[in-house]
Amino acid sequence: MSMEKTLDKALLSDWIAAVTSGGWQVHGPALEDGIWTFKPVAASVDLDYPNVKQAPKDFAFPQREIFFAFEHIKGEAPRLKEVKPEAPQCAVFGVRPCDGRGAVRMDKVFSDNVNDPYYQERRKNTAYVGLACNAPPSPTCFCKSVGGSPVSSEGMDILLTDLGEIYIAQAATKTGEALMAAADKLFGKMGAADKKQLDKVHADAVAAPQRAVKDAKGAPAALKAGFDSAVWEEMAKPCIGCGICTFLCPTCHCFDINDEMTGMSPLKGQRVRTWDNCQFPDFTMHTSGHNPRETLGTRLRQRVSHKFRYFHENFGMLQCTGCGRCVSECPVGIDIVAVVNKVAEHVA
Amino acid sequence: MINVQDIRDTARDLLAKGEVRAVIGWRAGSRGMAAEPCVVTKPEEADSLVWDPTCYHNLALQLVNDRKDLVHSKKTATAPIGIVAKGCDARAIVVLLQEHYFKREDVYIIGVSCENSGVLDERKVKAQVGGFAPSAAAFDGDNFSVKTAKGDKKLAGREVMADRCLECRTPFPKENNTAFGDDKTGREFDAQFAALARFEANDEAARWEFWQRQFDRCIRCFACRSVCPMCFCDECVVDSIEMKIAPETTAEEKANRIRWIERSAVRSENATYHMTRALHLAGRCVDCGECERVCPVNIPLRLLNTKMEREAREAFGFDPGASIGGPSLVASFRDDDPGEFIR
Ligand code: SF4
Ligand code: SF4
Ligand code: SF4
Ligand code: SF4
Ligand code: SF4
Repeated sequence: MSMEKTLDKALLSDWIAAVTSGGWQVHGPALEDGIWTFKPVAASVDLDYPNVKQAPKDFAFPQREIFFAFEHIKGEAPRLKEVKPEAPQCAVFGVRPCDGRGAVRMDKVFSDNVNDPYYQERRKNTAYVGLACNAPPSPTCFCKSVGGSPVSSEGMDILLTDLGEIYIAQAATKTGEALMAAADKLFGKMGAADKKQLDKVHADAVAAPQRAVKDAKGAPAALKAGFDSAVWEEMAKPCIGCGICTFLCPTCHCFDINDEMTGMSPLKGQRVRTWDNCQFPDFTMHTSGHNPRETLGTRLRQRVSHKFRYFHENFGMLQCTGCGRCVSECPVGIDIVAVVNKVAEHVA
Repeated sequence: MINVQDIRDTARDLLAKGEVRAVIGWRAGSRGMAAEPCVVTKPEEADSLVWDPTCYHNLALQLVNDRKDLVHSKKTATAPIGIVAKGCDARAIVVLLQEHYFKREDVYIIGVSCENSGVLDERKVKAQVGGFAPSAAAFDGDNFSVKTAKGDKKLAGREVMADRCLECRTPFPKENNTAFGDDKTGREFDAQFAALARFEANDEAARWEFWQRQFDRCIRCFACRSVCPMCFCDECVVDSIEMKIAPETTAEEKANRIRWIERSAVRSENATYHMTRALHLAGRCVDCGECERVCPVNIPLRLLNTKMEREAREAFGFDPGASIGGPSLVASFRDDDPGEFIR
């Protein structure tokens, strides 16, 4: 990392003020109505939080995106009006390493094979200021076993590490360097003692025990071999087919496109993209009425296989980053770690 | 206190004798503290069943799923299905029976009484430790000992008990084939509709401000609908899965397929969704509180549903889930209905 500095904790709010006056909207974790969410930050931000309920993916991939507006007056040609995303510059503080790695995966989907101008416009205006997890903030964390690390800076512009009285700020991108340079005088030089402490905190973080996918490297092959396993229906038995596991996931990216009418005479409306997900009953519904994934088992298989097999086949990396949200938030305890382990066990 | 071994023995026995084809119950969850619903089909699996204050799921939903599976796979049941049921689960089963979703002889109810307890509300635990999730919870009959990233805590049972349990008057499943635990019917830790009454103490402007904030936050994951045993419709207002397209279906018909509510999670659509669901549950909701429990963004849905429940109670004397033989609110007519709104 190129730029590594110390920041006195008492100066965090000054830095946020400097970033704000540099034209950025600063967002950070806030506890509101009993849940942690990313909210616009007015003064300072509380960085003593478990992982935020919803992954920060909506900064680049909002749940609702308007593509264009249309109007059709009888007897005239239909009129289309492109709607460009309003994408203010957002600096998101307090992104956990699993969600930084989530952003890397979202980038693959919307920038590697396809060019999604809506996503890209928002993404280039988004900066992630991460916070290393000195200890797993949730009992369901399993980032280590899927190739991540609680101190990873992948996908981040800056990674902060809490050393008690100070943060160490490590810039990982040019944007990150610029965010720090904007308030250069607030930061101190990272001395040898700081460096030593940082290394110790990081080493301890990496050593902290977590739940684990037993053989993540072998998962793509195991899931392929276990495609027809009876385990899927068995594990999916209590599943209610809701949108929790997918909507909260940092890497789920499926969407639907609909025309939403705002008036009938003259006919007008908007073409809108909204999040969709493979657990809903109509996700793979064909126009004929046939549904190839009619049962909950086939839908669970789709979700888990996408995370641990198909994405790997397409992009050479697991899609799941081990944030544990789908595990902790599932209303009936369906546990992706247990599912992958069990399918692997059955084909072994 | 119930000895969990009694539940296991009953399940094992029923399965061994072939009196039921499966038993729906709870087992220890793999992810840590909470129990999870399970379906036991072999006698030797019966010992995996558990009973503790994290058995919050309303298992009546699993009966609905079982029925849908049977219909879907065109199979007929060889024997009844067994189910471990709390008071609220049993009330839900009663409504399903009233509505002829299945027959009484199709289910074998192993009732479990909550006695002087109820289920844990994880949110209330989290509220005590800055929103961090507990990793383990043990209950000694009065207090919970929980482990969290912010240290261990001992919490009084009543303090972290779900609101629905505080307000519950039927902690004993009256409708049962066999039941365990003492019958504490009529117990009341908090008055019924207490949470609603506390909310209604706010003026109209404050209430509307509150609901706008709640509806804006809804991500339309439909977990509240999907977890509800009373929301069993094959075609729900939110997903039109019954529209079949044939060669002669016109583009207009496709474009104008019924969409009562748009996919966009915006205030108008979210509010419409919640109002519609509340109305569909009037006189049917048994206040098991599952919708409120599962909501990932903490929308207090009980406030909507208990409001409808109270209306049905006050206007028509309805108590959903009280008796199988009783009429159902929307499908019955009485000459002596007050009908004050009909002029
Ligand atoms: S999964 Fe890893 S990176 Fe994510 S919150 Fe947990 S410890 Fe931190
Ligand atoms: S796995 Fe859990 S969260 Fe996901 S659809 Fe099923 S019930 Fe909902
Ligand atoms: S699949 Fe589950 S654990 Fe993996 S990244 Fe998504 S929400 Fe997190
Ligand atoms: S609502 Fe009543 S029956 Fe249901 S879990 Fe609570 S105390 Fe038990
Ligand atoms: S569970 Fe909550 S977020 Fe999901 S649809 Fe219901 S109210 Fe909305």
